[in-house]
Amino acid sequence: MLRFIVTRLLLLPLLMLLFTVVVFAMVQAPPGDFLTSYVAMLASSGSSMDATQVEALKQQFGLDQPIYIQYLRWLESLVHGELGLSLEYQRPNSELIGERMLVTVLLALFAFVITWIVAIPAGIYAAMHKNTVLDYLFAVLNYIGVATPNFMLALILMWICFSNFGLMITGLFSPQYTQAPWSVARFIDLLKHIWLPAIVLGVAGTARLMRIMRANLLDELNKPYVVMARAKGMSEWTLVVKYPVRLAFNPIISTIGWYLPQLFSGSLIVATVMNLPNIGPLLLRSLIQQDMYLAGSILLIYCGLTIVGTLISDILLALFDPRIRMEGT
Amino acid sequence: MMKRLTVFLIVCLCVLIAVPSAFAGEAKKAPESKAAPTKAAAPAMKYKEAPVLAALVKAGKLPAVEKRLPENPLVVPADEIGQYGGAWRRGFLGPSDFNGVNRVIYDVLARFGPDGATIEMKLAESVTPSADFKTWTVKLRKGMKWSDGSPFTTDDIMYWYKDVLQNKDLVPKIPSWMQNKDGSTVLVEKVDSLAVKWTFKETNTNFLLELTTKDYGDRLYPIFQPSKYLKQFHASYAKKEALDKMVADAKFKTWTELYASKQSPFENPERPGMAAWTASNRISDQIFILKRNPYYIGVDKAGNQLPYMDEVQIKFFADAQALNLAAIAGELDEQERHINLLNYPVLKENEQKLGKYKIFLWSSPGGFDAGVIFNQTYAKDPELGKLFANKDFRIAMSLAINRKQINESAFLGTGEPRQGVPKKGHPFYPGDEYALKYTEYNPTEANRLLDSIGLNKKDAEGFRLFPSGKRVMIELSVVEVFGPYRDIGTLVTKDFEKVGVKVNMQIRERALHFQMRQANDLQAEMWNQDTAGFPFTGSTKYDFRRDLYGNLTYGPLWKQWYDTNGKEGVEPPADAKKIVELQDRAKTVGPAEQVKIAQELFKLWVDNMFEIGTVGLTATDQGVAVVNAKLHNVPANLTKDWPLRTPGNGRPEVWFFKQ
Repeated sequence: MLRFIVTRLLLLPLLMLLFTVVVFAMVQAPPGDFLTSYVAMLASSGSSMDATQVEALKQQFGLDQPIYIQYLRWLESLVHGELGLSLEYQRPNSELIGERMLVTVLLALFAFVITWIVAIPAGIYAAMHKNTVLDYLFAVLNYIGVATPNFMLALILMWICFSNFGLMITGLFSPQYTQAPWSVARFIDLLKHIWLPAIVLGVAGTARLMRIMRANLLDELNKPYVVMARAKGMSEWTLVVKYPVRLAFNPIISTIGWYLPQLFSGSLIVATVMNLPNIGPLLLRSLIQQDMYLAGSILLIYCGLTIVGTLISDILLALFDPRIRMEGT
Repeated sequence: MMKRLTVFLIVCLCVLIAVPSAFAGEAKKAPESKAAPTKAAAPAMKYKEAPVLAALVKAGKLPAVEKRLPENPLVVPADEIGQYGGAWRRGFLGPSDFNGVNRVIYDVLARFGPDGATIEMKLAESVTPSADFKTWTVKLRKGMKWSDGSPFTTDDIMYWYKDVLQNKDLVPKIPSWMQNKDGSTVLVEKVDSLAVKWTFKETNTNFLLELTTKDYGDRLYPIFQPSKYLKQFHASYAKKEALDKMVADAKFKTWTELYASKQSPFENPERPGMAAWTASNRISDQIFILKRNPYYIGVDKAGNQLPYMDEVQIKFFADAQALNLAAIAGELDEQERHINLLNYPVLKENEQKLGKYKIFLWSSPGGFDAGVIFNQTYAKDPELGKLFANKDFRIAMSLAINRKQINESAFLGTGEPRQGVPKKGHPFYPGDEYALKYTEYNPTEANRLLDSIGLNKKDAEGFRLFPSGKRVMIELSVVEVFGPYRDIGTLVTKDFEKVGVKVNMQIRERALHFQMRQANDLQAEMWNQDTAGFPFTGSTKYDFRRDLYGNLTYGPLWKQWYDTNGKEGVEPPADAKKIVELQDRAKTVGPAEQVKIAQELFKLWVDNMFEIGTVGLTATDQGVAVVNAKLHNVPANLTKDWPLRTPGNGRPEVWFFKQ
């Protein structure tokens, strides 16, 4: 097990180097560069630059250099542990990402917790009361939950809140706290706002997780050891929670590591629609604006976290299930 | 149970480890004025100031208002004398949307008024031409100060001229307005501490007009810079080691990047400014806050120092829809930028229901908000290129468009069918005859014209064929930037197909469209004409020599012909050449003559159908203004345009919240 972890960790830098090439190539793939989209943005608001000005900016941003030089520049700053400079914001990328990190993780954790708190008990209940009215009701809700794009849900909720209560539910802070430094009051203000986006983000996940939990549990519930335990007079609830539920968890645990990159990236579209100050809109915008170093940096971190996340999943699974631990070395 | 707990703890731990430098320092203090209070001499007029500033004066942190204002302050006309206080909440779409902030502060020597035609002095006391329009003298207001209290003198203009404009690292190529015809740089001399003289080799009647756009618009270096403050970042003045260290600390590669960032009024709150409000944090923050400039040069008729409002808070919205929703909910005090015309009905409905705001419709000085432009030098398919270059074809296509339908369905009836000329009442207006030429819906005449130019054969589907037997098929490139272009494109496509011309509409991403435009790959495009009010200056679209980044696709190879002095490209037709001659002549004649030239230019423009206008004077682009019901002095009729820096030409320093 240890050797497995060490090998995986040793491979990490090599993989990351490979990813820098892939990420950079991908970010560069759309036609044009930062300046073309910049000029286009200006044009769409009535102004337009002339060629000399565009040339001057090109020089200032280093976009007149060949692609491989631009790549090497980025790599150079990466080696120094920095993420380069954002073309649009003219600020270090690490600073931009850092500013949004805490809110991003908090929001994702909230959504994650809501998902689990709702989905696991509901899944267990549905499996234990298969084909009852409540089970069907859950099923219908699940299908709706999975089928509704969450940005759509966000828009609908925003509109309902506005038209019925005159409330604007965009953003994560009240105006007076948007710029304030962190304090208890600011955190409480955050809690007042975070639940709605968290629910929106959690809906699809909840529905999916509940279906998985139900299906996994149903597989287990008819196995001989359960029948045996029941025959021995074990109380149904204790029995289910103690044995089949644990087994039903396995497939879920193996995907838990995938949450890590999701925690980081934020939710692209929902966050943009609801104007949340997390990393999602930053990434979306940097891709649209072709702010290549910023987009590249976020994607690179995302790649890194995916690798680490998978590794964590494997470790967790081993911790959780003795059978896996014994099989491998 | 224990194990499950461990699992959770491990997950939490991993998350914490994966959070690098979550809290970067973001506390930024507003720049505090360093000026010490001095004894005031008896002023000619009793000036009053905002309570916040009065408190600072009392505490000895700020000089008295008489000392802060110039001897001859700018008296800003307004309907009502206002009340101090309040914050103007606006929205924007992030740092790339910085021109939205330029429009608010409008930090220039001379500016346009609400009618979009009169130029009024701002920082300059006067701008006087010589009789032959070859020299222009700019006189500054005596005693005016930067927002940090340091004096603003002609040195700040000379610094721009010597150390910024003519520094090859900062400005690789001198912009055309500062060039003489022979390519040499225009001479700028200091007369005294209050006057600067511009000397051109040729007659130049556009100088005053040019001054109105020489702010930080489009990231250009403003022509006046706080030289005392900025010299520490300039390679000609700063010590090399100190400068290198600052460059490295800011993670830049060259000093020019550092300079660009430090001189930006939006990226560096310490940089002194002259506008009514100056930055207190950075544009990349969640809410960009501009605070009142205690040294602003303007007063109202009663002698109250402006601005009335304490702050401008410009909130970052990741998405224009979210911004629109905030406006609908009444969370923005004055907003026209990024408001979608299609939300006009909802806004109107809530104007009544909520009572929080009123809606104004502002229109442009003319032009059109959607038009079709054919590439007359299209080379990939010579048959098509020849067809586009045929004037009768373009006239036929103009007659084939049902403009009333476009106005009703895409612009909610707010516009009118017209060609790309200024609006009625503008001195350059060439008359109804030209504004409405070829705008009537007449498919019969269109068919007749198309038949007459050799497209009289049709295929089985009813589409016209070239004499060679090939189907006439036009690719119309549409970019969804200026409004409901997809819908308009569809309507135009249907109209064209009704007269037998097959159209293949392509919705393109703008960067790709720009690239194709540069490469002469566009056959036809849909774009707007928003420079009708300013045909001779700035980013005019009435000159075939302008760069294609900002220009349209009427004849990319004509531009090449001019660029290479006729060696490459395609020789333009006589009327196109005449337009270029008119452009050159306009710069050398007085205002009265300029009016005649402009009218002649617009007549030629319409006669030749260089562009086919559909509908104009709509509220599409930044024309729907949502204004807080309590906000007074906001003009209900404001001419909007980028060279006017709308809403800046509505004099926002006199806007106020009525208690």
